[in-house]
Amino acid sequence: MKQLPATKMDTSLLRRSFLKRSSIGSAALMSLLKDSSAGMIKPNESAKCKRVIVLCMAGGPSHLETFDYKPKLEELDGKPMPKSFTEGQQIAQLQGQANNLKVLGPQHQFKKYGKSGQEISAALPNIANKISDDICIIRSMQTEQINHDPAHTFMNTGSIISGRPSMGSWINYGLGSESGNLPGFVVLTSVGGGQSQPIAARQWHSGFLPSQHQGVRLRSKGDPVLYINNPKGVTPDRQKDVIDTIKNLNMIGNQTLKDPEIAARISQYEMAFRMQMSVPELVDFSNEPKHITDLYGTKGADGTFASNCLLARRLAERGVRFIQLYHRGWDHHGGIKKGVEHTAKLVDQASAALVLDLKERGLLDDTLVVWGGEFGRTPMAQGNGRDHHIKAFSMWMAGGGIKPGITYGATDELGYSAEKDIVHVHDFHATMLNLLGIDHEKFTYRYQGRDFRLTDVHGKILKDIII
Amino acid sequence: MKLLTITILVLGTYLLHAEDPDFNSEVRPILASNCFQCHGPDVKARKAKLRLDQREGATRDLGGYRAVSPGQTTESELMKRILSDDPEEIMPPPKTKKHLTIEQKEILRKWITSGADYQDHWAFVRPNKPRVPEIANGPRVKNNIDRFVLARLKLEELEPAAEASPETLIRRVSFSLTGLPPTLEEIDTFLADKAPNAYNKMVDHYLNSPAYGEHMARHWLDLARYADSNGYQYDTERQQWVWRDWVINAYNSNKPFNKFTIEQLAGDLLPQASEHQRLATGFNRNHGITIEGGIIDEEYRTEYVMDRVVTTSQVWMALTMGCARCHDHKFDPISQKEFYQVFHFFNQVPERGANGFAPKQRLTSPLAAAKKTENERKLSQLKKELEKPLNLDALIEQWTSQIALQPKEGWVILSPKTIKSTGGATLSKLDDNSILVGGANSQKDIYEFTAKVTAEKMTAVRLEALTHQTLPGNGPGRHSNSNFVLSEFELTAISIKNPSQSQVVKFARAIADYSQAGYGVSKAIDGTTANSNGWAVDGPTRKAPATAIFTTALPFGYEGGSLLRFRLRHEADFAAHGMGRPRLSVTTDPADALQLQGIPAGIREIATIINQKRTKSQSDRLKKYFLTHHNPNRNLKKRIATIEKQLAASFPETMIMQDMAKPRATHVLNRGQYNEPGERVSAGVPAIFPTMRANNSNRLGFAQWLMDPTHPLTARVAVNRYWQQLFGTGLVKTAEDFGIQGELPSHPELLDWLALEFIRSGWDTKHMYSLLLNSATYRQTSHAGKAAYRNDPENRLLARGPRMRLDAEEIRDSCLASSGLLVNQLGGKSVYPYQPKGLWMELNNRPGYSKEYQQGKGNDLYRRSIYTFWKRTVPSPMLKTFDAPEREFCTTRRSRTNTPLQALALLNGPQFVEAARRLAERMLSKGGQTLNERITYGFRLVTARVPVQSELTLLRSSYTENLKLFETNQSTAHKLLKVGDSPYNTRLNISKLAAMTSVARLLLNLNETVTKG
Repeated sequence: MKQLPATKMDTSLLRRSFLKRSSIGSAALMSLLKDSSAGMIKPNESAKCKRVIVLCMAGGPSHLETFDYKPKLEELDGKPMPKSFTEGQQIAQLQGQANNLKVLGPQHQFKKYGKSGQEISAALPNIANKISDDICIIRSMQTEQINHDPAHTFMNTGSIISGRPSMGSWINYGLGSESGNLPGFVVLTSVGGGQSQPIAARQWHSGFLPSQHQGVRLRSKGDPVLYINNPKGVTPDRQKDVIDTIKNLNMIGNQTLKDPEIAARISQYEMAFRMQMSVPELVDFSNEPKHITDLYGTKGADGTFASNCLLARRLAERGVRFIQLYHRGWDHHGGIKKGVEHTAKLVDQASAALVLDLKERGLLDDTLVVWGGEFGRTPMAQGNGRDHHIKAFSMWMAGGGIKPGITYGATDELGYSAEKDIVHVHDFHATMLNLLGIDHEKFTYRYQGRDFRLTDVHGKILKDIII
Repeated sequence: MKLLTITILVLGTYLLHAEDPDFNSEVRPILASNCFQCHGPDVKARKAKLRLDQREGATRDLGGYRAVSPGQTTESELMKRILSDDPEEIMPPPKTKKHLTIEQKEILRKWITSGADYQDHWAFVRPNKPRVPEIANGPRVKNNIDRFVLARLKLEELEPAAEASPETLIRRVSFSLTGLPPTLEEIDTFLADKAPNAYNKMVDHYLNSPAYGEHMARHWLDLARYADSNGYQYDTERQQWVWRDWVINAYNSNKPFNKFTIEQLAGDLLPQASEHQRLATGFNRNHGITIEGGIIDEEYRTEYVMDRVVTTSQVWMALTMGCARCHDHKFDPISQKEFYQVFHFFNQVPERGANGFAPKQRLTSPLAAAKKTENERKLSQLKKELEKPLNLDALIEQWTSQIALQPKEGWVILSPKTIKSTGGATLSKLDDNSILVGGANSQKDIYEFTAKVTAEKMTAVRLEALTHQTLPGNGPGRHSNSNFVLSEFELTAISIKNPSQSQVVKFARAIADYSQAGYGVSKAIDGTTANSNGWAVDGPTRKAPATAIFTTALPFGYEGGSLLRFRLRHEADFAAHGMGRPRLSVTTDPADALQLQGIPAGIREIATIINQKRTKSQSDRLKKYFLTHHNPNRNLKKRIATIEKQLAASFPETMIMQDMAKPRATHVLNRGQYNEPGERVSAGVPAIFPTMRANNSNRLGFAQWLMDPTHPLTARVAVNRYWQQLFGTGLVKTAEDFGIQGELPSHPELLDWLALEFIRSGWDTKHMYSLLLNSATYRQTSHAGKAAYRNDPENRLLARGPRMRLDAEEIRDSCLASSGLLVNQLGGKSVYPYQPKGLWMELNNRPGYSKEYQQGKGNDLYRRSIYTFWKRTVPSPMLKTFDAPEREFCTTRRSRTNTPLQALALLNGPQFVEAARRLAERMLSKGGQTLNERITYGFRLVTARVPVQSELTLLRSSYTENLKLFETNQSTAHKLLKVGDSPYNTRLNISKLAAMTSVARLLLNLNETVTKG
């Protein structure tokens, strides 16, 4: 007998939804639990690293004062910006003075450092002297968004439309977490050195991916994780008792129900308790030897970039998959000479320390460290500062399968536009996923009828910078 | 497991042996996922001029061959290509990383063999009245919904579940309709009601509760991307809550869905639009708006219009129109040109990209109308009182006699002789002897003033930082953010008799009525300007005057008069932070008697003269001073001002829709870019749908077109969302996408029947909810056993009742309700419940733009969560943790996850610990005499049922154990009870209350408590 069409399609639908549920449903739960195989996919043979630490220099560090030396810029200092560069281009706050653009020469000295002879600004002495041979500098970055908020959105999600998952969420969704006690995607923030542009919590959101893949921000003041501390008057013993009793009550309640969700609920409370036990230990630096705290230049978990870098290492050791640090202090519209000096001072030592420390512990091989902002800054002066700029900026990566001690890509003679080996944000994403053993073209999630990717329909893997 | 295996086997068998594959359910999904990208509706992306989404294109002669030759697989190029192993030939091409399974190829083969019939996509065809399956009335058939569900279950050889217990049912209905748990009175009434229509009455009771409107509105706000902040960079505050109140009111008054729609989309264009019809259009102003500098206006204005098109089509048509922004839709028959034709309707608002808040209007919240009338009545009463004449002379006499008794000299305001600015600012002396600063605003500036005084033993100097309308933001400072930083305040006194005699006056102490944190007034006399230290007054947030007093170590002043030379140094690194309108005074009062304000010495002098001896000008001066500072009407005026302020706040300016008189031209935007306009288009709707009525091609016409009963989508999409809300998953699971890539309905006939019933009822929303809730399907138990959950985890077949974790708002609201803390107050400005300190400023601390979260007090802590201030960039951590969206854009379905962070919030968040304590107080004071009674009382409050013996035993022993511990350690008990702002009931025994609080914490964390079903 022939079935009704409706029934036929429903059966297939049912099967599809069941299969989906059985994999995603449990992965969803497990990604916050310990099984490292809980991700949606298995890393492929290209996998070189297991985790990522992004040092996000929020505000848009000037490439011209950090990693991209332009002698010609020095020569033209104070002279009108050649029109051939700027005509018809989008600029942000300099819009009003499009006819009176002047060149601003590099505000800091550059020198060659290390065996590799990488050219780095004197504003970053630790990165220059200690890790220039460990990092790969990319001088040919480009992005599409000229304002902070959308530029961060683009850097994090590969789209300017808010609501897409951030890279940390994608990676946790894909690979799962290796930590049984901590979330797989952790965010840390610090400020200092320039106008502290706001950062929205949506930058670490999971978008249409299940929301347990969103980043969890660890705070330096108050509870490090929201509500991690027991209520006043409740001892750890009592809390444990509460968790156990809830479990027992839930099991009684489930005798007739037999809802599989109950298992999830019980694990959820047990994991919560384990987090309560492990987070205080995580943020307690007292067992770090002095030479380590000195290396980073920190005294304790005080919310500075330096302490966040040390915390990042501790998170990496504990199996956290994606760690993102924001330092909000690079928006130097005015006073860029002093501004860069000031901000660099707050991040330089600890950035170098993190790479050295990871290396020392053998963790750098499978940890990718990324350093860079959401865009660069104009070669044209904005008073004694520089405006936002999307056609060229620099970033560096280290470890995790990246070739050390090389510089990749180049900008034109004024540092206005990336010219050689242009690296688009999508290419950065494709490369990062490749290092993690994920094929960025196959790694999709269906939402509103479309198979979405972190790299949208773009992205090329930067084979030249991979070991 | 067995059942599942059977299902798959049945399916597998079917796939391999069935005769004719069904186009909609089997063939099109394969073609859509694998072929339409290059051979679909998008003209530009189309390869080899072949389109496979229409029969005509697929069977077209391509020059001696066809992609699909109906009935002839060997003659069909499509078959050759999908079966090929040649990487150059095979389809889909390897580089797309797509490939067809053997089963899929088989389906396509059979489809072509059977004649390659195409069907229209189900959702684009108007629903036809389906035949209702003939099943007789009975306990399992309450209405037609059940007939469709049972017919389907019969095919699967499944039985429906039994009816749930009355306690479960009332709790389920209460949450479904109001988002709150039932009260004990409601439960008892329902349990006691043995009438056959007891259940219907119970449903009606909740449908008529004001909480119904709040709960339904809360779901609508997700769709409407409603928030209390503007999003983007600085995420400042907006006042759209008046619109939110409109939504609550619309649900409570059961506004028919067609009016509900038309008013929100185009209320402003209705003939003689009422205030509330205009207010309704706030729906399409809820998108984010940027205030960031350096943006391109048109780019963002375009984004706002895009947002309206995307949101409107998702909410009413479940269409992913946004996919046609940059190119023709890849799957659905919507061209890029059609996208911009719809865009045209929403492109007519007289708005800008940056600070694009206009058009705005002051409109009254429909929920505040009564309060408004009351306030207006009070106001007119007070104003009448104000008009009554005063016996001024007597009042002044009374006042002056009091002054004469007071010994103090007061402040003498100095009249500066010379005024100078080193930074080149323009200084001008005003009538009140203050110095107004204007003109050049240098990085650093020192003001030098000199003034003559006769007094000798001066003890202190007063510096007032006054405000002025010519200063930025009407504030006290010259910086654009209204602040100043006074680095140092210096004074030299020179003898007038003998100018060679002079002294630098040393200040011992400085006090001020206001100082910014870290910028205390003492920093202005600490002798250094290092690290930019100085006195500042929070100009960005506080646009008010400030006063400082500097007391001297020793009295100063020369016999025969002194010339005082003041230096106000502004030398901080923050550029241009000068004081805007300083005024100086001195006094000879003893330092310990000084007041910041006080009666000026001149006035005091006049006051001591007997009335008859005062000159006319003296009397006038006195009168003027009295009226300014001691006016008996001042209190009255203050009260009037307060009410006026309340009135203004009760209807702030709210953003609404409006069309420009002269329409804005709309162009297709190439690649969706604002700066790449292409062909100009006129308003229109996609050709796949019924045409719009002529002569009405504006936004109103569009809204009416949506509500036309012939529209295939509107009613289906709406009833599917109602279903999703009550059952957890819609009949179409992808409630946001009814297009070709969306999932097919599980019960297509039922969906169509509901859609037509909705239209037939006159778009009566309450009727639809009532229908759904009264079905036997809804009333089934969810206690269906392991196998049922395993075989059909999402309950798509509906063989059991719905069961799901409560939404974020429901969790918080239900804890407030069962603990008795909930403050039921309908509508109004959004409130700020508990939130960990510092969250806002940690992410957004730009001076002048950002503000700290101002946690509310009293009632504001216990309002329903729909009223929680919704900041897009830093949403409420509690709500966010339980999967509330950011509301950056339209959300049709929330995730429902289980994370440890949720457990932490419920276990440790002060809102919940306080609720546990209040629940414990209720249990102890109202729950009865015995421990069993008290625990049962609390248990019923959160779960609606009586605990079983084993539950009771566990809870009892937890209580006993905790009691022992708290009795030996009362200070921990005290600490626990002090969590939260509300005081604990001190008449209760502290250890018992703490022990019961621990039990209540268990209750609030039970799986059953956070689950409906």
